[in-house]
Amino acid sequence: MLRFIGRRLVQMFFLFLLFLTLLFFLLDAQPGDITSQFLDPTIPAEIRAQLAERLGLDGSVWSRWWNYMTNFLTGNLGLSFQQYPRTVTDVIAERIPRTLFLFTFATLLSYVLGFALGKRLAWRRGGFSEHAVTISGVLLYTVFYPWFAIIMILIFSSGLGWFPINGFLTPELWRNAPFTGNEVFGQMILSLVIAGLILVAGSYFSRRQQERRPAQIIRLVGYGSAILFMTIFWALKPEMRPFASNILHHSILPVVTLALVAFAGVMLLTRGSMLETLKEDYILTAQAKGVPERDIRDKHAARNALLPVTTSFVLGLAFIIGGGIITETVFSWPGMGALLLTSIVSEDIPVAIGALAFTGVLALVAHLLVDILYAVLDPRIRIQTGN
Amino acid sequence: MTDTRTRSSRESILEVKNLVMNYELKDGGMVSAVEDVSFELKKGQSLGLVGESGCGKTSVALTLLQLQAANARVLGGEINLDGINLLELSPEEMRQHRWTDISMVFQGAMNSWNPVYTVGEQIREAMDLHWDPKPTAAEAYEKIVELFNLVGINPEMIERYPHEFSGGMKQRAVIAMALSCDPKVIIADEPTTALDVIVQEQILEELKKIQDELDMSIIYISHDIAVIAEITDLMGVMYAGKLVEIGPTAELFAKPRHPYTWLILSSTPSITGPRRALAPLEGEPPNLLDPPSGCRFHPRCPFATDKCSQEEPPLSEIGEGHMIACWNHEQVPVTLATAEDDSRSANGSQ
Repeated sequence: MLRFIGRRLVQMFFLFLLFLTLLFFLLDAQPGDITSQFLDPTIPAEIRAQLAERLGLDGSVWSRWWNYMTNFLTGNLGLSFQQYPRTVTDVIAERIPRTLFLFTFATLLSYVLGFALGKRLAWRRGGFSEHAVTISGVLLYTVFYPWFAIIMILIFSSGLGWFPINGFLTPELWRNAPFTGNEVFGQMILSLVIAGLILVAGSYFSRRQQERRPAQIIRLVGYGSAILFMTIFWALKPEMRPFASNILHHSILPVVTLALVAFAGVMLLTRGSMLETLKEDYILTAQAKGVPERDIRDKHAARNALLPVTTSFVLGLAFIIGGGIITETVFSWPGMGALLLTSIVSEDIPVAIGALAFTGVLALVAHLLVDILYAVLDPRIRIQTGN
Repeated sequence: MTDTRTRSSRESILEVKNLVMNYELKDGGMVSAVEDVSFELKKGQSLGLVGESGCGKTSVALTLLQLQAANARVLGGEINLDGINLLELSPEEMRQHRWTDISMVFQGAMNSWNPVYTVGEQIREAMDLHWDPKPTAAEAYEKIVELFNLVGINPEMIERYPHEFSGGMKQRAVIAMALSCDPKVIIADEPTTALDVIVQEQILEELKKIQDELDMSIIYISHDIAVIAEITDLMGVMYAGKLVEIGPTAELFAKPRHPYTWLILSSTPSITGPRRALAPLEGEPPNLLDPPSGCRFHPRCPFATDKCSQEEPPLSEIGEGHMIACWNHEQVPVTLATAEDDSRSANGSQ
């Protein structure tokens, strides 16, 4: 297994270099550059040339590529043209937590709910409620997402006034705030991750129990300690609490909107996958053995239906930024998606490459994760990679 | 060739009486899959059910375990297993009877294993559900080792996953699982169909040995008449959802009385018997959405009379434990039919 991961890491490195090169040439192929973008067209040609030289835009494509690659590998992603002289690393580092928070939250929510509902749908196939839920699922899955997001804003922000219309914090509140938005964000993410790990550990130990009763108790203890941890964590930071809740309030509508749409896809995928597994002979064997219905559904059918859903989950995480463009634009959420869009439109090439490179890294890591998860979930693969 | 002990003095363990089961179609049509099937199985006896594909063998088996498809309707009859009518049990009560009283070795034993759990875990699951009290880890392990030795698998395989087993080993392990809760009756539905002939032979030997050792009652279901001949005490012949003849296996092979039994045996080559041209069985099984009137076999029967197309023949006893549903069984010749066509005989005798 370790050898397998090592080999994959080396492969990933070269694949990444290739990806970066491709990105560089593709973005270079767009007409114009930053100097033609937002400078007065009457500006003398020599000044324009001087500016291009200072930004490193003169010279052949190859020499610029070489410069870029060597700089990139030493960790220097260059300066943002638009937010000159901030470094690209700095710009991206500011945006990443916001996007990760929004999408990880929404994706987790949609997968947990989608899987739970999808397996039940397949299990009680044919009833009225199954048809109703499946049809609503198809509706949500195929809805034109930007339109759906705007309708959500129209209803819940503009109409009912439950949530802010856009942005990720209220500027008036933060004017004299003792923290930056990202500091608070960091703490929020940290607490969520720890609480999540507690839940995962709880469910792991509960699954290892043979008996139903202790399994339930361990799961409840897991929920309890996660809540307890959250309470203590935020009780110790009273001055940060109003700011955190402000961000949370802003994030609810985008998270719900995103989760609703993603959830529908997951639900339909789980339902389809589950219907396939339910046809397998081992389900009939389990019934003949007298396994209770609930265990047949969860331990036998859903456990096998989980495989394609896992793939979709991890790959879904990788394409957060691509998906983020629409969401972040509609909700004016200043994350990576919005950054990618503005940088490409304004020919801020270093930032655009930086953002896309980040997507690439996510995609590569996600693929590795899929392989490892598959090996964990499916013994047939575990043996092969083990040899 | 066959163990001829009829064990008639033994106590009855399973009694099926006038079982009727239909499949309901979406348009309201009814497929008559099992029609008025009755038989009795004594402790330690083995019964073979034979018949063409779609004649209702597997439907009978699944109904015995109450695992019939969602659109199946049991319209009448009784399934008395050791004095309890399974058809009167609630789903939860039935669930508790499964595997402890009646277990099954499935047709697709290859796919009977869930790929994500070890074989040991899956056998253990059945034991955890049904043993009272629940076995400790050590007890369960010991029992599985014992079962693996019984069916001829190396006990080291307990912790392995199904895909690490060969086809024959999977089949043996399925048998081990079927034995894990000491059931009173085992149903073996095509237990050896997917295996090559050598492994088939080994597994059948194994099953027979186990049956004798544990005094188990087994129902074999197969379209392979040779398998049935080899290992069963009783044989039942099904045609189009009905049991047309049942009796001691040796007697049925020696003197088939129902025209259908007579014709299938005539179309089956025998290695040990005299060389003869095989007679083909003409025609196709009927559509069970609209089964033929009277005797369901009459359209294909060489001895059919008008009565056969109007009145259904009852299953009646013609010898000790030998029952038959035919109006004209006296007409059936004592020797098997041979093909009239000479061109067939060259191939047929092989």
